[in-house]
Amino acid sequence: MLRSFNIDKLHAKLISKPTLFKALSYIDKQIIQTPFLLIDTEKMKEKISLIGENIRNSKVFYALKANPDVAIADFVSKQNIGFEIASEGELKILSSLGIKPAKIISSNPVKSIKFLEMAADYGVKCFSYDSTDEVEKIAKYAPRSNVYVRLSVPNEGSEWPLSKKFGVELDDAVRLLSYAKQKALNPIGVTFHVGSQCQNPYNWNIAIDKAKILWDMAEREGMKLSLLNIGGGYPINYTKGTISIDIIESNINKLILEKFPEDIEIYIEPGRSIVGDAGILVSTVIGKAKRYDEDWLYIDVGIFNGLMESLGGIRYSYIVENNKSKNKRWTMAGPSCDSFDVIDRNITLPEPDIGCLILILSSGAYTVSYASEFNGFSIPKNILI
Amino acid sequence: MIRFFEKEPYSPIEYTYEVEKVLYKGKSQCQEILVIENPYFGKILILDGIVQLTERDEFFYHEMLTHVVMHAHPDPKRIVVIGGGDGGVVREVLKHGTVEKVYLVELDEEVINISKRFFPTLSSKVDDPKVEINIMDGADFIKKVSPSIDVIIVDSTDIIGFARSLFTEDFFYSVMKALKQDGMFVTHSESLHFHLDIVIEVQKILKKAFPLVDLYSVPIATYPGNWWAFSIGSKKLNPRDIRRPFEIKTRYYDDEIHRQAFLPHKLYRKLMDKKLIW
Ligand SMILES: Cc1ncc(COP(=O)(O)O)c(C=O)c1O
Repeated sequence: MLRSFNIDKLHAKLISKPTLFKALSYIDKQIIQTPFLLIDTEKMKEKISLIGENIRNSKVFYALKANPDVAIADFVSKQNIGFEIASEGELKILSSLGIKPAKIISSNPVKSIKFLEMAADYGVKCFSYDSTDEVEKIAKYAPRSNVYVRLSVPNEGSEWPLSKKFGVELDDAVRLLSYAKQKALNPIGVTFHVGSQCQNPYNWNIAIDKAKILWDMAEREGMKLSLLNIGGGYPINYTKGTISIDIIESNINKLILEKFPEDIEIYIEPGRSIVGDAGILVSTVIGKAKRYDEDWLYIDVGIFNGLMESLGGIRYSYIVENNKSKNKRWTMAGPSCDSFDVIDRNITLPEPDIGCLILILSSGAYTVSYASEFNGFSIPKNILI
Repeated sequence: MIRFFEKEPYSPIEYTYEVEKVLYKGKSQCQEILVIENPYFGKILILDGIVQLTERDEFFYHEMLTHVVMHAHPDPKRIVVIGGGDGGVVREVLKHGTVEKVYLVELDEEVINISKRFFPTLSSKVDDPKVEINIMDGADFIKKVSPSIDVIIVDSTDIIGFARSLFTEDFFYSVMKALKQDGMFVTHSESLHFHLDIVIEVQKILKKAFPLVDLYSVPIATYPGNWWAFSIGSKKLNPRDIRRPFEIKTRYYDDEIHRQAFLPHKLYRKLMDKKLIW
């Protein structure tokens, strides 16, 4: 008898019927060891063709950090987009696939010397930076590269803010552009990141306004910029609908057309929005407990081996295998002995038996790439379906 | 007034039915079974919260699921019906004089019993001597049956429920193997309005196993999205052609309907290439 799953209207909004069919068919067919991560390539393909569609003169670079699986990278490269990377490890993955250097950029503002050497040797030509030390490093280890400076921009309304660590204000940014030129680098533009899972469309307005001010300041200094790299940040649906990519992009495109020269080139570096909603983590219920008046559910994937982003506030949606039992309120926890390892509180789900599967939707990005084997619990493998 | 609310999470319209009387409510090993009486549709069979058939309009579905392949085939003798425990497809299949043997393969015996009790006009032929009933998983049956079948018809429940094993590549390959040279296969593949992505997916999987794959549609009032699609896999013969005279008694299907039920080629390409999405 096949496993039966409790599917409701919420799930139907988050995952298409063919994707669910493919995932369930995969589960039916294999005798499997959970946890593992199913990735629907059709969904990725759909997202890749959507992203950048509404922004004139744009190129897309998949932020490999979101999920650096080799098979995923291979699939992404076949869709004819590029990659954004930060480290030797990520470069190795791309070189093993024979990705052309022209398809690779690095927007990590602080790079290791080893990585810079390797990247320059490989032929990578585009780097971001936000400090004088980085200019000197790039000038020395990747001379004559194209560089773009990272502006700090508001990250309010993003689930995973990035502005506290990176980016500089306008005055510093112009100085850094001049300094790069002085060091025989080629300052071509500006970049920012509105924060990952950005649900506040005004962040892009503010960031683009700020980039425009920098653009004009640079021009007054005799530097003609040509590139605006708008980073990542496009959100995906976790528990409810969020602003759609075409609306975000139409807004961005309008702003760029208003403010920037016609021949400006736009780079987009999406990570989450390419693999996030293509992923379904498949986990198993390993225990249940009642503590005071709380019902606890333990599954074999948790904070350490995949669901780290729950610490930052990401809430997932779950499809439960069950025999039509009643809904209950649960605290959901991972398998490790650490009391940090709590994934979610106050969620309403039907009661599964021990050994039943729980599917975690929209879990393709920043899950396995963050995971550790703490306490001996295995990291879910990516499986493309 | 009591109302029944259909539970199809992938339907953007929620269908509700007036319930004059609940005739049966039970749970089999596989699913919840409900039979209600509705003033317009008559008796309605509901499995796991989804309407399967109504007395009033079932013939649209059963005739169209059955007779298209039966007329496209030059000499259909040995038939397998998977699912369809209500007996509707068996009733239609047995209208063809060529038929020597019908294997009815139903996973849930309760559906056959309930149909005999409440839907005698559908189940009238399941006890015919030509019919052999097998209570088992259709995918397992097809793997084991000797490769001598002319027509295989799947009349199943929703594709993401427990009928999902009847839509996989593996299953379509075993269907292909079970069929004779001229063999044909048909299955429902949901609504062109609400489940276009499923229609496309089923067509794509079928194409992995069959050299000839096609699609036709039927308007059905009581299925979400109404514009219901049937997918055909054929080993050799074009299912759009009629190879035997139309001589049986039907209410909706006839030779003209057969030809016009298939999607025009241009529309078919547009849908498959996702050039027409709405
Ligand atoms: C420089 C840079 N680019 C792109 C991304 C990808 O962002 P997202 O996954 O939100 O699309 C990140 C994420 O941390 C980043 O730091």
